Amino acid sequence: MRIATIRGHVISAVKHRSFYGQRLLIAVPESPDVAPQIVLDTLGAGIGQRVMISSDGSEARKMVGDESSPARWAVCGIVDPERSRTP
Amino acid sequence: MGTVIGRVTLSVRSPRYAGERLLLTLPWKRETFAGEQKFDPAIVVYDELGANAGQQIGISEGSEAACPFSEPTPVDAYCSMLIDEIIYKTEL
Repeated sequence: MRIATIRGHVISAVKHRSFYGQRLLIAVPESPDVAPQIVLDTLGAGIGQRVMISSDGSEARKMVGDESSPARWAVCGIVDPERSRTP
Repeated sequence: MGTVIGRVTLSVRSPRYAGERLLLTLPWKRETFAGEQKFDPAIVVYDELGANAGQQIGISEGSEAACPFSEPTPVDAYCSMLIDEIIYKTEL
């Protein structure tokens, strides 16, 4: 799992059937050696938010409800803003 | 994500491939999203959607690339979407 920042999204008409109706965001991981990834989002993350993304494909396949889906990266949580953390 | 630059054709190939298109694709780096012409070394991507040279595609890499196939298939990169538009903010 990685911490990443949502920087945008992609629009695609022709795609694998399991991606129909899904939010496809561009997440930029905080480690500089990792390329930005297109991630599935079912939690409603927005541009500028820090999220935790996971490359667990089996979880992503459950999110889209299709065991033949090539989905790999998915948002698994939205990181709390710093001021809301207890010291 | 990647940009398609061409195709690979194989006359002699694994019998598990059926009706495949193989795309030679440049995977995007972080700098590519910022508008620079910098890419990772080219990879071959299995395609069922019909992408052509110049098309931007979404790639599934790793074991998930083989998930769309009912039989075990030697595929580690799969074209899962043809990208029409990218909305990307370089500055937040």
